[in-house]
Amino acid sequence: MRSKGEIYVVHRLLDEQICDSDGRRVGRVDDIELRGSPPRITALLVGEGLYPRRLPRWAARLARRISGPETWGSNALRIPWEEVDELSSTVKLRKKAEDLGLGMGDDPRRWIVGRLPWN
Amino acid sequence: MKTILKIALGIIAAIGGFLDIGDLVFTTQAGALFRYDLLWAVVLGVLGIGVYAEMSGRVAAVSGRPVFDVIRMRMGFGIGLVALVASTAINLLTVAAELGGIAIVLELLLDAPYSMFVVTAAIALVLIVALLPFGGIERIFGYGGLLLFVVVATVFHQNPDWGDVAHGFVPSLDSSALYLYFVVGVFAATLMPYEVHFYSSGAIEEGWTEQNLKENRLNAILGYGIGGILAVALVIVSGYLFHPIGVEPSDLGTVALPMQGAFGETGLLLALGGILFCVGGAAIDSSFAASYNLAQFLGWEWGRYQGPRKAPRFTASWLVFLAIGVAVAQSGINPVEITEYSVVFSVVALPLTYLPVLLIAGDRSFMSDFANGRIATFLGWLYFAVIVVLALAAVPLLLITNGGGG
Repeated sequence: MRSKGEIYVVHRLLDEQICDSDGRRVGRVDDIELRGSPPRITALLVGEGLYPRRLPRWAARLARRISGPETWGSNALRIPWEEVDELSSTVKLRKKAEDLGLGMGDDPRRWIVGRLPWN
Repeated sequence: MKTILKIALGIIAAIGGFLDIGDLVFTTQAGALFRYDLLWAVVLGVLGIGVYAEMSGRVAAVSGRPVFDVIRMRMGFGIGLVALVASTAINLLTVAAELGGIAIVLELLLDAPYSMFVVTAAIALVLIVALLPFGGIERIFGYGGLLLFVVVATVFHQNPDWGDVAHGFVPSLDSSALYLYFVVGVFAATLMPYEVHFYSSGAIEEGWTEQNLKENRLNAILGYGIGGILAVALVIVSGYLFHPIGVEPSDLGTVALPMQGAFGETGLLLALGGILFCVGGAAIDSSFAASYNLAQFLGWEWGRYQGPRKAPRFTASWLVFLAIGVAVAQSGINPVEITEYSVVFSVVALPLTYLPVLLIAGDRSFMSDFANGRIATFLGWLYFAVIVVLALAAVPLLLITNGGGG
């Protein structure tokens, strides 16, 4: 039996904004890994590869075509629960995004606009 | 005195252009078709946006969450995605309509062809965003939009039968579908959701905390109140001038004609200038709203305050949305027609973005002592009911009236 409090935490965590140790926004909690009995949160799952499983089956197929098949390490990441520092209005991580492979989409080197003059 | 001025300037800047192309089009048409009869629908819309903006500003200041953050949290990924896709489509139509509006005004002011000005307008907006900080962008369009007070002066110059005007504030339901279509249109034009999405994200851009709640309330009441006064004035001047002679305004230039009638060339120039700033501000707000929504939903870094280096995806998406707006505005579809569709469909999608904000604003676990009190809860749910009714009525009325064409 899960206690009410635990279900509440999962409900509150899912879809929450994640920030790294510098306060950068680096993604959202797209899914949660639970293990054991009674279940414990063991990791946060992040990345667009997880979007299809958040959708009804008819829409998932289309979503998988857009976001690509779920590939761990590239479009889906597993952030172990130990990396979570603090839960406030965001999920704050202990490390910088780079160290966890997060926030690569906002890497300025990947974007021409990162070199725009209005910084 | 100095503090009052400072507060006033802050409010003016926060609300930006007060009116957008949807307000201009629907209020002028409503006046021409039904004289003062739809004034009450303007008031209904102004109160609605005040309630919605106050709640989302408060949620942003207290919990640090802008609207699409709240939507993803409260509605989850699936329904949130529906809200995102619908809002983005409507925002892009709005961006196109506002860009088209800028181009029409420039065409009238400078006497050169429309097609030249859409791209020019977009480039000018990119430069403004590039050169100015967030607060500066808001101030330009906020202060410039004050030129539209020439419409209020025109009302007093026309000196209409005030008894008739007062009668227009009493809600009345005509059974004609066209009248009901305009009730929906005037209400929806006043309560365009992008304004609130922009406003709540702006609160984060400016680093609001609980200290800013008083400012938030003043913005919601006075800031949107000023917009309401201008919208009411537009209905009156149009009703006074166009209704008796049966003119049906079908382009943006007609909106400025009553001011020319009252004050000659000066009136016309002030009105066109005011329209330019309002529509320009709305182009920025709606395109930013589209990028804010996308970035917040997906958890990207976002904000003008971060700059393109720290928030490249946000910046890139903004440029792409602006480019799509240019393409739609250049497609040859009349901007007034694009406006009508963006306004009517915005009310259809409104419940999806309004409800999560209402739920979070009333949730003590998010908002602690700043959760909705009794009055805010009552008004919040009352407006939710109004919005749902109008959302359900919008599309049938659009079809029955052939897009307001009668």
